[in-house]
This record gives sequence, C-alpha cells and structure tokens, in this order.
Amino acid sequence: MAISRRDLLKGAAVAGAATALAGRAEAREAVAPLPESVGMLFDATRCVGCRACVTKCKEVNELPYDRTPDGQYDAPNDLNGTTKNIIKAYAGGEQQTYMKQQCMHCLDPSCVSVCMMGALHKEAQGKRLMKGERPIATGIVLWDKDLCVGCRYCQIGCAFNVPKFEWDDAFPKIVKCELCRHRADPKKEGPLAVANPACCEVCPRQAVVYGKRADVLAEAKRRVAAEPERYAAKVFGEHDGGGTQVLYLAPKGVEFSALGLPVLPERSSAELSEKVSHAPYLHGITPIALYAGLAFVIKRNKKKEEAAEHGREGKR
Amino acid sequence: MSAHGHPKAIGGQLLGPSMVKLLALFALAAAVMLYRFVVGVGPVSNMTDGFTWGIWEPLNVVVFTGIGAGAFSVGLLTYAFNKGQYHGLVRPAVLVGAIAYTLGASSIVVALGRYWNAYWLPWVPYWNLSSALLEVAVCVIAYVTVLWVEVMPSVLEGAAASKHPRWAAIGKRWGPKLAKAMPFIIALAIVLPSMHQSSLGGLMLIAETKVHPLWHTALLPTLFLVSCLSMGFGAVVALVTILKLAWNGEHDQKLLAQLSKVNAGLLFFYVALRLGDIAWSGKLRYLGANFYTGLFLVEMALFLAPAILFLVPRVQANRGRLFGAALLAVLAGAAYRMDTYLSVYRPAGFDANGNAIPAGWQYFPSLGETIVTVGMAAVGVAIFIVVSRLFPVVVVDERSQHSKLERGAMKTAASR
Repeated sequence: MAISRRDLLKGAAVAGAATALAGRAEAREAVAPLPESVGMLFDATRCVGCRACVTKCKEVNELPYDRTPDGQYDAPNDLNGTTKNIIKAYAGGEQQTYMKQQCMHCLDPSCVSVCMMGALHKEAQGKRLMKGERPIATGIVLWDKDLCVGCRYCQIGCAFNVPKFEWDDAFPKIVKCELCRHRADPKKEGPLAVANPACCEVCPRQAVVYGKRADVLAEAKRRVAAEPERYAAKVFGEHDGGGTQVLYLAPKGVEFSALGLPVLPERSSAELSEKVSHAPYLHGITPIALYAGLAFVIKRNKKKEEAAEHGREGKR
Repeated sequence: MSAHGHPKAIGGQLLGPSMVKLLALFALAAAVMLYRFVVGVGPVSNMTDGFTWGIWEPLNVVVFTGIGAGAFSVGLLTYAFNKGQYHGLVRPAVLVGAIAYTLGASSIVVALGRYWNAYWLPWVPYWNLSSALLEVAVCVIAYVTVLWVEVMPSVLEGAAASKHPRWAAIGKRWGPKLAKAMPFIIALAIVLPSMHQSSLGGLMLIAETKVHPLWHTALLPTLFLVSCLSMGFGAVVALVTILKLAWNGEHDQKLLAQLSKVNAGLLFFYVALRLGDIAWSGKLRYLGANFYTGLFLVEMALFLAPAILFLVPRVQANRGRLFGAALLAVLAGAAYRMDTYLSVYRPAGFDANGNAIPAGWQYFPSLGETIVTVGMAAVGVAIFIVVSRLFPVVVVDERSQHSKLERGAMKTAASR
C-alpha cells in the first residue's frame, strides 16, 4: 500500500514535469493568411440596401426563396437554411447602416477546428479532396457533405453564427457561403480563376468587391486613408478572431459591434481551444503513461488482495 | 472492513407494473424518435440555428454521463487507490455507468442531422484531433464497450451458476479468463473517462463569445472532470440507498459516509477552483444584480450545501439525510453542466458588462425533446432492473432477513 502510494506520487511528479515541458513545446501557432487566399471587402458606407446581392445569391446557388408567415415573398430576416447571404439594416446615428452577412472565411476558422472529420475545411487543406475540390489553397471554407454527421458543433463554434442547418429536412445539409467557387472560370487570370461571388458581380454600388485578400485589405486601407472623415479607422477582419478573408468598413463614428459583428480578440478562438485542450495530452504521451501506470498498480493491488484473502482463509 | 458479501441476482417478476410504466415511457420516446427520422429534427424540437443542441446534448449526453461517472469515480478509488472496502459498490456503479453511457451515445444519434455518415468515425485518417467532440465521440464509443466488458463478470458468474450445462460451461470457462484480464480493462476504464469528461468541458472553449464570462474559462476541462467525479460519488450513494429500499441491498452507512467525505473534498475543491479562477482573472465585476449572478450563486450553493452536509455527523449517521445530500451533489454537477451548455449560452454573445446581446433566437425544450429525454432515462432504469434481477450485480444484505416485518415495510416503501 505504502509503495503504491509512493509510486502514484512519483508518477504524478513525472507527469507534472512533463506537462510543464511539453506545454511549452506544444504552443500552437497563430495561422497566417495564405498567399493565394481570396476574400471580399464590404463597404457599409456604399451599400444602399437594395438586396440585389441577396436575390442573386439565391439564384446562382439554386436556393429556394423564403416565405414569411404573413405571405411576404423572399424576406428572410437572417441567414438560414435557404439563405447564404443577407443584408441587414442597423439603426444608429443619423441614418441606418446596411450590413451584409455571409461566411467570413476566417483565417483560422472555429468551424474547421471543431469539425469532427473535417467536413468543414479550407480548400485543399482538409482530410481529403472532395468531389470538385481543387488543390489550390484559396482559404475558402468548404463543406464536404459526405463527411458531415450533422452534429452542428460548427454552429456552436462560429462566433458569426454563419453555418445554418436544414431543420425541416430528414436528410439535412449545412448551408453556408462558399464564395461562389462553382462560378470560377479557370480560363481567367487571378482571383476570378478560383471563385466569382455573384454578390460582388451584381452590386450596383460596388459596396462589396472580390479579390485576393491581400488586395482587398490594401484597398480597404487606401479608402480609409483617402477619406478618414467618412470611415471608421478600423478594418474589421484584419486581425479580429485571428483575421478573416471577408473584411468590413464602417461609417465613421459607428462601432462594428453596433452593426452585428462580435467583439473578438486578435487571436482566434481555435487557437485558445486547441492550446488548452491539447496541452495535457503531450502529443498522446499522457494517456499512454497513465494507462501503463494504472494497469501496473491495479494488477499489483489485486495480487496483494488475493494473497491477503488466502492468508485469512489459511488461518481459519 | 465489512465482510464483503457476494452479489447475487435479485430474481423476481420481470414485467411488473412499474416496468410496464417505464417501457411505456420509452415507447413514447421511440415514437418521437421514429417521427424525427421521417421529418427531421426541426418539427419535433424547438432547436434553432441559435440554440442548435437544445437539451439533447447537454442533458442526454453531458448530464447522463456525469451520473454514469460513478463507475469512474468508484473504480478510481477502489482500484487505483486500493480502497478495497468499496468493492461492493463497483458492480452497481459500473452497470449504471454502462447504461447511462449507452443511452447518452445512442440518444446523440437521434440528434445527429446526418447520422448515416457516422460510419466514418472509426476511420482514423479522417479524425480531426483538434475537435473536442471527436475526442468525446471516439472515447465514449470505446468507453461504452469497456463498461459492458466490466459488466461481463456478473453475467459470466450468473452463467456459471446457471442450471443449463452449456451456459454454466461458458461461465466457468470465460469467467476466470476475464478476471485475469480485468486489471488492464479497469485501467482503460479510468483513462478513457478522464479524457472525455474533461473534453466535455473543453468542448465549450471554442464558444468563448457565447458562454457567459463567469462560466467560460480555460479551466472548463478541469471543472468538468472534478464535477463528474462528484456527481459520480453522489449517484453511487443515492443508488445504494435506493437498492437498500427496493431490494434490501447491502447498505453500509459508515462506508457511504466515508465515501461522501471524499466527495466533500471534491466539491470544496471545485468551489475553490471556480471562485479562485473568477477572482484571479478579474471577472468579479460581472457579479451584480442580474440573472447570471443569480444562477452562479445557485450553483455555488448547490456545490457547497452537500459538501458541508457530508461533514455533519448527523447527516453521516442518517440514511435519509445522506441520501438527500448525495442527490444535491448530483444536482450540483448537473446544474453546472446544463448552465454551461444552455442556460448561460447566448448565440449573439455578451457585451462588455456581461449582458446578453439580443438575437432572434429563443429556446425552451419542446414536448418532443422532453419525451425523448424522459423516455431514455426510463429505459435506463428498466435495463438496470432487468440486469439486476437476472445477474449477480447487487450485494444483498443477508443479515436483516430475520426481520420479516421490516422487509414488508421496505417493500411497500419501494413499490410506492
């Protein structure tokens, strides 16, 4: 008994020391933007709320139109199982501000971090290439219908509440924007060769534009620098939540949090969650060591107990 | 040490009136589940894109397995810390664990939207090791298997004692072989739950904007691990008391009181961790006259009350009081788990002062969701009764058999 306790203490000490060591070794790096990643820039000062992008999105993604209970046609009030893109109006200041919402295509997406078998993954960086997936690291977050079990952990993880579920379907899908990668034209040069978001194509005010992330980020900064009296200084998505591939500009004096965007730290949630969860495992050493130690102690305890019982019987 | 008696099959009528009621509840749940497979999850539940897990994940998985963690906590104490006196508690605790985990795992299949793709789960190359849910899924599937293997000694013993020669041969042949392998299985039965119970807490780390700051912390895995142990110990004490009332199961008040003292330590440890963490990370400012503070205080009270009660001699000496305190310990862990997953979960997150940002989603469990949860719990009780009647799981107290009057009174109490 005394020995087993000592062994346990010893084991605990070793495990503790190893945890401290590997905790340092395991530091998960922040994810940098992929050089070829594509994205969008939405300029809230330009959007007039015509919702042409909402309609076009439905059309090119073959999504059915919504019906509200009172009969209005195609008036979704949020992203849902048939709506991958939406314009919302936010009151505040002298006039209302229109905001576009769709998948942010995060640099280090929570949905990808939590997806059990990599159904949600960044293009060409998943567990396998699904049908129609190209080996180009565009950073677009894709959904592989054959690896999704419909657990909806992505919905818990996404701070933007983007992935949607088909609730009234016996064989439901996860629905979210994939940046119209199916509209890509390989014959074209540059970003249009990998995707071609219909919302950007149809916008009459160029409130939303598509391009390489690096280019749309530079464009955002150029606009802010050129008209500082028009824009809020911050470009949302440059660093928020580890950075996103869809970026936002807001009118001066309007906080992004007043426009439905969450307040996020600069590191991604995935980085926090993976760091904390992985640290005690030491790349799998801890469970194996724990198992070996336990099996040894339990086996010896059992032997001792059996010996003691035999001893007792002998006395009788 | 109490002379540890040997477990024996309870026997008796299998399809009694209470069994019929339990099965009827399950039939109702089964009907709802079947309907769900035809029409989808939406029509039977109040789940939305905002509250996407409703009560099925938090209650059927996270709380059920917490109750089933009695197998883990008693196993840890009995085998790893070599406290042989708790041996009699192992079999019932393991059976409850096996049932609770099986139900947890199977009710999740109902909640899965695309369950038919789940056959990929054992395929290692597709494992996303960053996903806490993958860890939980794989580990729980493995642990369910291990738990039923742990139940097998009872079954084989029952077979060995059987009148059918073939059954008896199987039991006599495989019983000793399994006994030899048991240390290696028991070790697995300790490693696996410590992994997935902490992952159940780790699951919510990713939702850092959505879980109220008083609950969201890097200590989530630790707190879930500690709370599953305290729930497990509480559940075992409650179970032994119920078995005493129902079938005159062996009930050693001193032993249970001693076990509960260990639990008191765990409960205090949880409270210290929780309060220390909140103070240390500067979250005291979220405490005030609001819903979340209220919920937090209720939780703290639920953890502290049994911890204190377990140390009071009047409670330790009294079966009923100890039972009540043990139930409080289970409730405390259950409340903590439900709160983290649901009560303080807000899809649009919280502002800087910890007030929920309004979103278009409301949630209260639907009748269908409730029926499934209740039905699953009912069939769990039913399976426990059937297995205990057929196989030697429960240690029956032979000493008090002389008092026929007392036994009669017990029976009426149990059948009520």
